[in-house]
Amino acid sequence: MKPASDETTAGARRAETIANLIIAAIVVGVSVAAILGTQHFPAVRLSTDVGPARFPIIYSGVLIVLSLLLVAGTLRGRQFSEAAKPKGRNAYLAVAAGVALTLICLVAIVYVGYVASTIVYVIALMVLMGRRNLLTTPLIAIGLTALVYFTFSYGLHVPLPVGSLFE
Amino acid sequence: MHEIDMLLQGFERLASEPFALLLAVVGVALGIVLGALPGLTATMGVAILLPFTFGLDPLSGLLMISGVFFGGIYGGSITAILLKIPGTPAAAATAMDGFEMTRRGQAGLALGTATFSSFLGGTFSVFVLIFLAPVLANFALEFSASESFALAVFGLSIISSISGRSLVKGLMAGFVGLLIATVGLDPMGGFPRFTGGMTELFNVPFIPVMIGLFAAAEAFKSLEDVDLRREVAAALGRIIPPWSLFRKMLPTVGRSSALGVAIGMIPGAGADIAAFIAYSETKRFSKTPETFGRGEPSGVAACEAGSNGCTGGAMLTMLTLGIPGDAVTAVMLGALTLQGLQPGPLLFQDHADLLFTLFAGMLVCYVLMLVLGLASLRFMGRILQMPKSILTPAILVLCIVGTYALNNSMFDTFIMLAAGVAGYFMQKYGFPASPVVLALIMGPMAEANFRRALSLSSGSYDFLYTRPITAGLLLLAAMTLFMPLLRHLIGKRNRSRRAALAREEGADLDSKNGAE
Repeated sequence: MKPASDETTAGARRAETIANLIIAAIVVGVSVAAILGTQHFPAVRLSTDVGPARFPIIYSGVLIVLSLLLVAGTLRGRQFSEAAKPKGRNAYLAVAAGVALTLICLVAIVYVGYVASTIVYVIALMVLMGRRNLLTTPLIAIGLTALVYFTFSYGLHVPLPVGSLFE
Repeated sequence: MHEIDMLLQGFERLASEPFALLLAVVGVALGIVLGALPGLTATMGVAILLPFTFGLDPLSGLLMISGVFFGGIYGGSITAILLKIPGTPAAAATAMDGFEMTRRGQAGLALGTATFSSFLGGTFSVFVLIFLAPVLANFALEFSASESFALAVFGLSIISSISGRSLVKGLMAGFVGLLIATVGLDPMGGFPRFTGGMTELFNVPFIPVMIGLFAAAEAFKSLEDVDLRREVAAALGRIIPPWSLFRKMLPTVGRSSALGVAIGMIPGAGADIAAFIAYSETKRFSKTPETFGRGEPSGVAACEAGSNGCTGGAMLTMLTLGIPGDAVTAVMLGALTLQGLQPGPLLFQDHADLLFTLFAGMLVCYVLMLVLGLASLRFMGRILQMPKSILTPAILVLCIVGTYALNNSMFDTFIMLAAGVAGYFMQKYGFPASPVVLALIMGPMAEANFRRALSLSSGSYDFLYTRPITAGLLLLAAMTLFMPLLRHLIGKRNRSRRAALAREEGADLDSKNGAE
């Protein structure tokens, strides 16, 4: 029977193999889209210029070659990083929740402004990270939001959004 | 020497101007704060202060602006080292080794190294400005579009040395950065490329991308470690580097400062480029290049000496030729003109007294930066004592507000978030983030100058090999790019030779044993 650590390392390697192949596929897709996108660029009129399309095409071409090298290296078992350590499902869920909260906060700032959205955002993040005290958590959130607000709005004269609903 | 006498007289005059000295203190302190905050750069700080200088005498106004400039370049390293939030683009290079030192519990040492290196690099550059300005100004004039293109290519070749374990992944990250750098207006014709009709994308949003890739990605990563969520980040530890370490770093600081001055003089090349090139050259000269990217103090020293060395270089061409070396000195050029001073060779003749008092003030600014920097480090280090459950939300809020503050644009914050998510996955699967940032800085410079050089040479590619500086830099770029590959191939050949030799020896022993 294989030890548990060997199995988790094998699992991480499998996950990274899949990730490398997906990343290579995405990069090839983006590169091909970029090359196709350059077809709409204006034609070169000057003989002394290479035009707006030349550089994006070169970069995309090199990216396609590099993606193929990544695929080849991955399939031959040579493209593994030390960083890929096995993580539980909860870890990924916490990151996904953090990203989702940030997205919601950004959308909320557009409508209800910086202050209200940031207080709720900071409370939600602290709760997600295990700080669930009913008194200190909201107090810290209000304090942090206020500190950043006064530093930027008054100290540096950078007005923060008030939200389209209150403008 | 004439310059030394003038400088001493400058110090005398400065001593009789307490208000100017006070404004220098305010400028340096403000610069450090601005530099440390993500999204707020030295350029922005100088631009914000410009209207305040209208009512001031030339010396006070220019000293305050210089203070913000110097403090701003240095301040970026503080958050880069403590939180992996590069306050300025130049600090993205410092974050590579600085944050790794923080992870190893050597945050204080990293900050101390950054502070001393910034001071030495900056002071060296001011001395070069004082003593060699007229001589070096001619060197800057040698740099036309083709040389700037070659410099950008040389800068890009560094990708191979900051790629980490996988060269392919590093190069992929770099070329993705180069492709992103083509988004926006075409540098020659002004045609919008890959913008989807969005005017917000007319300029490459590289600071939101940088904040996302470094800071937001790191914050997202800290959400995944359930056990670490309640822990404090790390201890600050010792701040002043021990003499043995400092002595070892002195050649690095000297070389990086000189590189910083040279790069600072080149129009369009700023502290960010200087920091990355100084880092790469230090790695190239190092006997232990494998320690870079894993918390090497010389890496931090190189970036900071390089970026601060840039300040004097950028001011050199601005004062002697009226050509600003970077965005900050472009704003400073405006400040000089507003004060009724015309930059150029005549400035040194007509306003020598003011100029040498300003130079003396600049040296004082760097001493102030050292003192204020070291004094504030213990306080700044308290950040690390914060529990991660407070620190992570604080980082994310700073990322959002700092990105927004750049252009007062929510659009930029969404780009920052997208870059943060991409950066998280890149970190997870071994794709380094630094090549993306490097490519975003160098890509537009490379393309614009290549096409400009092509136009200047009437469509001929001769400029690639007929101009000595261009050819030399391109050759150096090729060496930098292919050296790791060559080293890898040589190492592989040596390993297989050794393995074959060991197999042969083993077979010989077996046959001997069999015979016996």
